[in-house]
Amino acid sequence: MVKIEHLTKRYGDKVALDDLTLEIKSGTIFGLLGPNGAGKTTLISILNGLTKFDEGRVEVFGLPLEKNLHEIRKRCALVPQTLAFYENLSVIENLRFFGGIQNIEKKVLEQNIDYAVETNRLSSMLHQKASTLSGGQKRRLNIAIGLLNDPDILFFDEPTVGIDPESRNEILETIVSFKAADKTVIYTSHYMPEIEKICDEVAIINAGKIIRQGTIESMLSNESADQLILEIYETPRERLSLEISSMERLSIVDESTLMLEGKDAQSVSAALELLESKKIKVRNIRYGTTTLESLFISLTSKGRADV
Amino acid sequence: MFKAMLIKEFLLVSRDKHALAALFIMPAVFILIMSLALKDVFNEEKALIEYAVIDKDSSLESYAIISKLRANKMMNEHNISAPYGKPKEEGVQFIVVIPKGFKSQFTQSDANNTALQIEVAADIGQSHLMLFKTQILSAVMQTRLDAINLAQEMQHARSGKREAAQKIDFDEKKMMKIQYAALDEGEKPTSTQQSVPSWIVFGLFFVIIPMSTIFISERKQNTLMRLSTMNVSLPVLFGGKIIPYMLINQLQVWVMIAVGMFVVPLFGAAPLTIGGDILALVAISLALSLSAIGLSILIATVVDSVEQATTIGGIINILLGAIGGVMVPKFVMPEFMREFANVSPMSWGLEGFLDVFLRRGTLNDVMYEVGGLLVFGLVSLILAAIIFNYKIRRVA
Repeated sequence: MVKIEHLTKRYGDKVALDDLTLEIKSGTIFGLLGPNGAGKTTLISILNGLTKFDEGRVEVFGLPLEKNLHEIRKRCALVPQTLAFYENLSVIENLRFFGGIQNIEKKVLEQNIDYAVETNRLSSMLHQKASTLSGGQKRRLNIAIGLLNDPDILFFDEPTVGIDPESRNEILETIVSFKAADKTVIYTSHYMPEIEKICDEVAIINAGKIIRQGTIESMLSNESADQLILEIYETPRERLSLEISSMERLSIVDESTLMLEGKDAQSVSAALELLESKKIKVRNIRYGTTTLESLFISLTSKGRADV
Repeated sequence: MFKAMLIKEFLLVSRDKHALAALFIMPAVFILIMSLALKDVFNEEKALIEYAVIDKDSSLESYAIISKLRANKMMNEHNISAPYGKPKEEGVQFIVVIPKGFKSQFTQSDANNTALQIEVAADIGQSHLMLFKTQILSAVMQTRLDAINLAQEMQHARSGKREAAQKIDFDEKKMMKIQYAALDEGEKPTSTQQSVPSWIVFGLFFVIIPMSTIFISERKQNTLMRLSTMNVSLPVLFGGKIIPYMLINQLQVWVMIAVGMFVVPLFGAAPLTIGGDILALVAISLALSLSAIGLSILIATVVDSVEQATTIGGIINILLGAIGGVMVPKFVMPEFMREFANVSPMSWGLEGFLDVFLRRGTLNDVMYEVGGLLVFGLVSLILAAIIFNYKIRRVA
């Protein structure tokens, strides 16, 4: 769906993207992670034709981006982090404006508006001025506008910034539902649990380079990591705190996950003996990191240290 | 606590460049412009009146009048010769024509068709005209008195006796005929006619504030970036701004004209009449609108916030108005300020509207102003497009 080969973009002396190669498959929710200034926005801008690149090759839908920008844009949509609509227009006026500007056939546009309204649960507020909507409702309108051309690829740039947990979950559910509609989602966020929750594949980008790419599971199962993850049958946290307090290097991640610092045989055997004695059953043992967040921090801080 | 509040407010204001510009630079520049523009009004040494004389009589009497006018420091004579144009074309406010046979009114009490003919530029106010008429009357009266005195002295030398002075007729209407350029005989421009063009021009340029405010909000909220990803090109984007605001400007023009025509008379003032060609009026207002919109978009692309747009837009509007003759009529400005006024598109718009309202101008008469305004608008739009492209790529 999206194929990027040896992409380089420079701003003067600064290299924003450095020989970046990446492939995003159709129908996936792809997370793009990276610290501020890593090159995520530049990459999204290039993919949306807002920024030109210096070297490399970008193909979208099998078409070279530069020569087919107009056609590619018709099948893509960008949902920016900012609320990019008109606060003084009503919900339906905004939808009609952004639909109308894309020269979509009237009948098709009405269908697409219906789909966008339904998917984002906006039907009860169609004639309300956008400025009077709640934060979550505004975010949903921002997404709905992105659906008006029935895109095959949707770019989301931090779509849940500044909203309450309930609205965030609703938005994440909406985004996951696009997968069923066979849409490809390219998603950037600083909020790692979101990425873990909805993304099939993730690329971590730092200083203009992809430093890790793959499924969440494969990324977290890293044999070179210094921690050992013990997956256990769900046990109340209070009980876990009590039973493992004697072993300092063993910590609780959640009610079904423990983490052991160090992977030497002595520590592993001591931990397993302790758990057996306390009748806490272990389901699985794997090397790796417990969360995407800790992996992200370790990778990007390493990158910074290298710089 | 109060001290902390005071310190905070001073720090905030001192670090707000635009507030400082509005508070200090704008009034300072405004004082400079207005002082220079009105310099000659309060300067007794400088001429307030620019005039020319066509002497068809070539008599001692006509020469005496011309000499007396020349001696007046308040007035500056320009040399022109027949065939001469309208006062505006000759660069003067008044043209005095001394008709052939003028001297006969000094000897014959019933001399006809010997009155001075004074052609007045259409944008000259009544007070200015009154001042000029007084100077002319004074010169004529002095010349006539001198002639009478001379005749009495000669009589006395010949016969040794003096005759009683004959009755002198100083009827202003018999002595001079006033004709406003391009108006019908006896017709005068009204204050409404002279002031409405200024406020139309000023009003049209106020489009800067709403337009740049909306444009900056769109840019800040990434709405413009979103539109770019929807294949909306820059010409469509700018066109989508220009056309609605042009219609708004047209509405403004016709509302202001309607106020002049129908509301102003309700309060006892003279109604506005459109002396010139409607097509010329439409052309000048469309061209002025394009220049105001071009400037608005340029300001909106250069500045970074709505606050900056409203401050800078307001300042530019007032300064262009002050320079361009909206606040102070150009005819009272000194020569160099009149030249400088031409840098302001408001000045071109004002001249165009004056051509239509006061000088009965046709489309041909306003083509120069229309051309200037269109070029100004287009150059502003091209600059705005270059800056906009640069900024959107830098942000992306």
